[in-house]
Amino acid sequence: MDLELSKEDLAFRDGLREVFLGAVPEDVRRRTALGETTREDIVTSQRILNEHGLAVPHWPQEWGGRGWSPTQSHLYSSELQRAGVPQPLAFNVSMVGPIIAEFGSEEQKRTFLPATANLDIWWSQGFSEPEAGSDLAGLRTTARRDGDQYVLNGQKTWTTLGQYGDWMFVLARTDPDAPRKQQGLSFLLLDLNTPGIERRPIKLIDGSAEVNEFFFDEVRIPAENLVGEENKGWSYAKFLLGNERNGIAQVGTGQRIYADLAAASGAIPTEDGLLGHDPQFRTALHTAKTTLLALEATQLRVTAASENGKASPVSSLLKMEGTQALQELIKLRMRAAGSDGMLTGTGEQVRAGDAASVAATQYLNQRKLSIFGGSNEIQRGVIAKTILGL
Amino acid sequence: MNLELNEDQRLLFETVDQAVGRGYANGGRAGATGTELGWSDQVWQTLGELGLTGLTVSADHDGAGAGPVEVYASLEAMGKHAAAEPLLDGVFLPSWLIAGLGTDDQVKQLLPVLAAGGATIAVAHAEPGRPWGLAPTVTAAADGSLTGVKSPVRGADQADKFLVTAVDDAGETGVYLVEATAEGITRADGRAADWGHTSQVEFVGTPATRLGSAEADAAAALRSAFARARVAVTGEAIGLMETGLAMTVEYLKTRKQFGVPLATFQVLVHRAVDVYARVELARSMALWATAAVEAHDNGGEVDLAATADDAFVFVCDAATAVAEEIIQLHGGIGMTYESEVAHHAARLIAITESFGGVSSARRRAVASESLLRAPSALLNNADAVTA
Ligand SMILES: Cc1cc2nc3c(=O)[nH]c(=O)nc-3n(C[C@H](O)[C@H](O)[C@H](O)COP(=O)(O)OP(=O)(O)OC[C@H]3O[C@@H](n4cnc5c(N)ncnc54)[C@H](O)[C@@H]3O)c2cc1C
Repeated sequence: MDLELSKEDLAFRDGLREVFLGAVPEDVRRRTALGETTREDIVTSQRILNEHGLAVPHWPQEWGGRGWSPTQSHLYSSELQRAGVPQPLAFNVSMVGPIIAEFGSEEQKRTFLPATANLDIWWSQGFSEPEAGSDLAGLRTTARRDGDQYVLNGQKTWTTLGQYGDWMFVLARTDPDAPRKQQGLSFLLLDLNTPGIERRPIKLIDGSAEVNEFFFDEVRIPAENLVGEENKGWSYAKFLLGNERNGIAQVGTGQRIYADLAAASGAIPTEDGLLGHDPQFRTALHTAKTTLLALEATQLRVTAASENGKASPVSSLLKMEGTQALQELIKLRMRAAGSDGMLTGTGEQVRAGDAASVAATQYLNQRKLSIFGGSNEIQRGVIAKTILGL
Repeated sequence: MNLELNEDQRLLFETVDQAVGRGYANGGRAGATGTELGWSDQVWQTLGELGLTGLTVSADHDGAGAGPVEVYASLEAMGKHAAAEPLLDGVFLPSWLIAGLGTDDQVKQLLPVLAAGGATIAVAHAEPGRPWGLAPTVTAAADGSLTGVKSPVRGADQADKFLVTAVDDAGETGVYLVEATAEGITRADGRAADWGHTSQVEFVGTPATRLGSAEADAAAALRSAFARARVAVTGEAIGLMETGLAMTVEYLKTRKQFGVPLATFQVLVHRAVDVYARVELARSMALWATAAVEAHDNGGEVDLAATADDAFVFVCDAATAVAEEIIQLHGGIGMTYESEVAHHAARLIAITESFGGVSSARRRAVASESLLRAPSALLNNADAVTA
């Protein structure tokens, strides 16, 4: 066993820090730490990362991947999160990019991959529908073949940051008569400037409008925008969902919130002194600390064991426990901010450091963590089946 | 960076697993703890032949001189079968204390006997009605003789000697070596919740010799030995939880109610998955702490006591939750002395009250300076959490 980074790994880490802390602007990182990242922040930061070869390190090397060791991959996601650098857009780098690289035509790779890595194209994920959430294969949006085009009809919803979307990867039904609902689905690339598309924002519990719904009425997609084979979309979708492993437990984000909260607690008054000395707060903090340690150690074990790049079923464990730990930490931050977290929108910051003004809204916003990406109940189902044989 | 057992350590795990598995095939923990000895003599002999009793003793004193990872591997294997042999309480723990505090003569005299499996030594620190972290009330007179009560003392009925904590006239805590057959000892034998033999031991002017010189830092040696024990026992807990989970999964598949296997009911399946999650995170924590102790022994900058408290608290919380769930998911059967799962659960609970218990470990951890620093599992990667 060995808990030390080697000289080479330390040098590698320092190289990452140089870019993350040196090249990515400080105000971008600050807004990200507060959960207030803007579209421009994400674009700026991803282009800087791409310039340094750090936007898509897990892609095939031919298309910008780096062929890193598990330890290096771990350092990448943890340092990125700790530094408050916006995550490269997941729809681009973790979802559609790897799918095109693996299953797309040469033409599609040339057209889309460089632009996807550099965020010249902003992708949106068109999977969920009002009647197809956890049961994704139950989706109803259809893509009818008409000559050298597909004609799209139906509705997608929950589209995160779809307001910025240039293109959408869509899962749609191409064979309504297939014997099983998982069969007869296809994976299509849709230019969101095509006529027949209506986009509406959905206002969320915290007042933000980061998700959208899309309505499709006779939307025409050139047949060359089909990825892989017709009716094989479900297997690509599963590949994509399994691919979100990289940094899924968000341990680095947890460490950053922890550090900010611990520092702020030294200046937050209570009736008996400072919050940093409050046994109730410290006990909760200790639970967060040990959970983060256990999660990081689990992540280290999992990345080491899944070198071949195949998603390990243990990624379900990391998703489930990692999101829950982060939600607990964010709840603790809300408790630290107390009633000061209940006044937002004035620009004033009172206690719990900078985070006070967003403590409660972020708490509400981050309830999503256990719902999307396969809800935590769905992850339990995966573990039961693939690991426990239940 | 790596948190896995190497080939030799894996082999050690398998060897102990097989040896204990054979011995426990008939009767399990109930059978072993029900004997006069309190464990299986046959398994103990085998462990001795395999060199397990000398695992933590240096080669100079006829041991294997192995490190914390070997301790982890062997105790996880013991835990897998809920084995009751006193490797940790009766051999490893006293060996750490003796090696850390004893004079050269004491070390030379005591360690080879422990290593050979010829004797066990019971470490007596806890006192009735008194928190673990306070100085003992047992007193050591100027001539070294001890007076006072220790309880609970695990394995006292079979121990060859005791290592007893006591305060001297100057109010200093020391560790004292007492022969089990010495004058002035009264023992009341009982059992712990896990059916391990456990006693209250009273000393009245009992002759004893100080372990180590009068100048040696007994408090530091105790802190270090108990910290090692807390980390070591997490390994046993992982083995216990792993088997508890496996038995529960099997039970859900085979037990039928309402005409179908229990595994048909998602509410139960999800609870089993939560048990799995607790076990896996606890395993990561135990492996991490074990690696940290190893790094410490190799000269790394590791706060042994704080590391042990963090790991012990996390694993004990998991152990409690797992013990409760594996009983619940077995229904009435889980409540019976006859069922194996009950013994796994009971031993898990006993672990949470070992070496001062989870509450006192949590109090220390919560009070610790290091709490306000962001955690990192990588020892040389703790700095620079900068947004
Ligand atoms: C903020 C946010 C952003 C999102 N972004 C996107 C996006 O960009 N693109 C996209 O395609 N989708 C997106 N989603 C959709 C997300 O993937 C779905 O919300 C998710 O799959 C759950 O589906 P549902 O909301 O229909 O809930 P349901 O599936 O109706 O689930 C309701 C409840 O039942 C539970 N449940 C469902 N099935 C089972 C079962 N078999 N066993 C046990 N429990 C079950 C669920 O866990 C949940 O608790 C987003 C969602 C949110 C909230």
